Amino acid sequence: MLDFFTIFSKGGLVLWCFQGGPAATAPVNALIRSVLLQERGGNNSFTHEALTLKYKLDNQFELVFVVGFQKILTLTYVDKLIDDVHKEFRDKYRNEFQQKGTLGLLNGTFDFKDDFMRLLRDAEESSKVRAPTVMKTFEQSLKSQKTVKCMIETRGEKPKEKVKNKKNKGSKKEGTEAVAAPGKASAGDKQPSGDREELTKDEILQKNREEFFRRHMKAGEKSSKSPKPEAQKEKGKKPRVWDLENSNAKVLDYSNSATNGSAEACPVEEFDPNAALGDRNREPGRLYDLEYESDEEAEEEKVVQNPSKPSVKKGGLGGMFGMLKGLVGSKSLTREDMDPVLEKMKDHLIAKNVAAEIAVQLCESVAKKLEGKVMGTFTTVTSTVKQALQEALVQILQPQRRVDVLRDVMDAQRHRRPYVVTFCGVNGVGKSTNLAKISFWLIENGFSVLIAACDTFRAGAVEQLRTHTRRLNALHPPESHGGRTMVQLYEKGYGKDAAGIAMEAISYARNQGFDVVLVDTAGRMQDNAPLMTALAKLIAVNTPDLVLFVGEALVGNEAVDQLVKFNKALADHSMAQTPRLIDGIVLTKFDTIDDKVGAAISMTYITSKPIVFVGTGQTYCDLRSLNAKAVVAALMKA
Amino acid sequence: MAGRLEPHLEALRRELRVPDPTVLSVLLALVAVIITLLIWRLVQGRRSSRKAVLLLGLCDAGKTLLFARLLTGRYRDTQTSITDSSAVYRVSNDKSANVTLIDLPGHESLRLQFLERFKAAARAIVFVVDSVAFQREVKDVAEFLYQVLVDSTVLKNAPALLIACNKQDVTMAKSAKLIQQQLEKELNTLRVTRSAAPTSLDGSAIGGPAQLGKKGKDFDFSQLPMKVEFVECSARGSKGEEGDADFEGLEKWLAKIA
Repeated sequence: MLDFFTIFSKGGLVLWCFQGGPAATAPVNALIRSVLLQERGGNNSFTHEALTLKYKLDNQFELVFVVGFQKILTLTYVDKLIDDVHKEFRDKYRNEFQQKGTLGLLNGTFDFKDDFMRLLRDAEESSKVRAPTVMKTFEQSLKSQKTVKCMIETRGEKPKEKVKNKKNKGSKKEGTEAVAAPGKASAGDKQPSGDREELTKDEILQKNREEFFRRHMKAGEKSSKSPKPEAQKEKGKKPRVWDLENSNAKVLDYSNSATNGSAEACPVEEFDPNAALGDRNREPGRLYDLEYESDEEAEEEKVVQNPSKPSVKKGGLGGMFGMLKGLVGSKSLTREDMDPVLEKMKDHLIAKNVAAEIAVQLCESVAKKLEGKVMGTFTTVTSTVKQALQEALVQILQPQRRVDVLRDVMDAQRHRRPYVVTFCGVNGVGKSTNLAKISFWLIENGFSVLIAACDTFRAGAVEQLRTHTRRLNALHPPESHGGRTMVQLYEKGYGKDAAGIAMEAISYARNQGFDVVLVDTAGRMQDNAPLMTALAKLIAVNTPDLVLFVGEALVGNEAVDQLVKFNKALADHSMAQTPRLIDGIVLTKFDTIDDKVGAAISMTYITSKPIVFVGTGQTYCDLRSLNAKAVVAALMKA
Repeated sequence: MAGRLEPHLEALRRELRVPDPTVLSVLLALVAVIITLLIWRLVQGRRSSRKAVLLLGLCDAGKTLLFARLLTGRYRDTQTSITDSSAVYRVSNDKSANVTLIDLPGHESLRLQFLERFKAAARAIVFVVDSVAFQREVKDVAEFLYQVLVDSTVLKNAPALLIACNKQDVTMAKSAKLIQQQLEKELNTLRVTRSAAPTSLDGSAIGGPAQLGKKGKDFDFSQLPMKVEFVECSARGSKGEEGDADFEGLEKWLAKIA
């Protein structure tokens, strides 16, 4: 049933494989690249084309166990199989791993086939062991004990009585049958369970008395008791009180009759104008500022902190011994050790503005990577987890592809076509401002830029870009660049179709020999389906070289939603085989956050695309590139 | 305050004047310990001077297979490496010389991290290039090579650099000469674009303050402070998995630097 099973070291050497081969390497490589290296190791299964891959990490000996099977099959024994194989393999080759290190891995022959076949057989059998449950025959079921007539529901009749009679008869039958059987209580219990609605108090007393007697008397007398409650139920049928035609509406009217509708009903309260208006000395018509009461808030914070401190002190002594124990000697990390630390790290990340679900997934992935790892001497659990988390964060922020816009522009220049960059994002993130900054940077490097004003909706968008163009041309006049204008604006006013303007702009740039075309689009909310369709159409029709998503660093959990929906819209409305998705992220307003830099992590984690530019202000020089180490240092700072 | 200190000072002076054996011996022991520590640190520093040969390169260049072949001579199946592997390699003809071969992962998110960790211990760097996919990947290869070359530690230590053009057993593989020319051209362009990139968040430029090669002239590998050689090799070997790998050039170079 399995397609393949591979065991390989984290260093890349395949130690043993079952039915592996070239068919196995590609999916496993995909698994490594998309799950392990992108810190999505939370759940242990991964789908690649037609295969489902399940994996397990051994962090002590740095091994990875991967099993692959067809996606359409649902095999229940796979998890157990992986665990068993893991244990067996580790125990069998423990020496090689511990003593010989890498050379042991290289030179050792891992003849595991027989053990594996045995484990596979066991696992398959254990999943088949449960015999299919035998269905009840018709005679055994309750349905056979009801008459057909009672099951036909006709209105007006009270079918319940008859059903109950049948039930009682059936249970009586079962009661006599079960006399010899040890299950005495079950027969008696079947009776009262359905009948509770219609018993009066006397009947309840009677029933309880019978049960009491039943438990102390012989089994033979039980059957005589059962007709009694049956007979009593016939008596105890009383009409219900809520027939509407009998009572009058007066009985049902609970409102205070005197006060409805009359103006004098509510007691005239003393209207005190001073109390209502408050401050006597206020000037009529003036709006006062919000008073910032910082002292009270600080007091509240202190009060909150104080109760937490004694608990820390109490745990201190006990924790110290545990810490000392953990410091010396080699101790392998377990989930229980890591959980409190991971909780704290997760809260820390969320406090630093990382989206909540991403913080959770990250901590899960780090836990998976550290489980079972042997700590060296003088390292605490906290330091190990922090180190692992730091490495994971740096890994996420490293770009997965080349981030060199100038190099690509040069390439496009050589092929005599303009390099098209599109900016998209929600409202108010800074698309136009950063577009101007990027065009300034490109002009400084000697490339001529055409700005396409495809924001035909927002009032003043075209004028804003015109002002930027004027300023940039003033900073870099044509005389200093060999007589050609470095920046030009292509606009067609308001209300027109953005995709059409973009297409015309690109062909204009090609004719006039511009090096770069920067397309500015209107801001749109990710939930707005028609606008997302329009954006997707613009990108699908014009196929820009770079699609940049502009996101502000202040965004919190919203970042996840925005990026997911933008990518989805682009993927859904594209005609091509491989749709053009977001290629890069521009992180803006970075100067407004001091060290709450979590938005960078959220965005790169969701899209796995690099942050190409960082905007740190509103002047033309405020454009930076991301430094992964600095961001992670700011993130991990206490 | 001064009053309180005075009697203490007096006591100290009295102690020093009288050669009390216990105090003197304690002081001598402390001095001995400090000197030992200093000497030990010096010796350590000299001993752990770079004995490592790093295997760098893009993903799927063949580093792990090359590593396995060099150490055992046998062919092994490999997957994408997630972490480094290191082992001691004995140069074949000379028994005493040995180097530590370190195989680093080539994946984009890991390569710089591992390079940071091991660059200080590097005596030599083998940069493995996939000769078959080179035409497609030339920009990525050049970018990684550039990042390695402008690293301040690498420039300071100037470890010997060998660019191994791997996968020569495939017919479409490019020759070492062609790879050298293309890399020089690409690095020439990269010098300009990388130094023009926007400065990093904390102020340090991405391209590094170093300028690669000489300013006025086109980039050439001979302008680098370290010795650079190009060698063709094939980790898989022309006879496939059963036969040996073709890398005499690589082995000779390793013997030279060991």
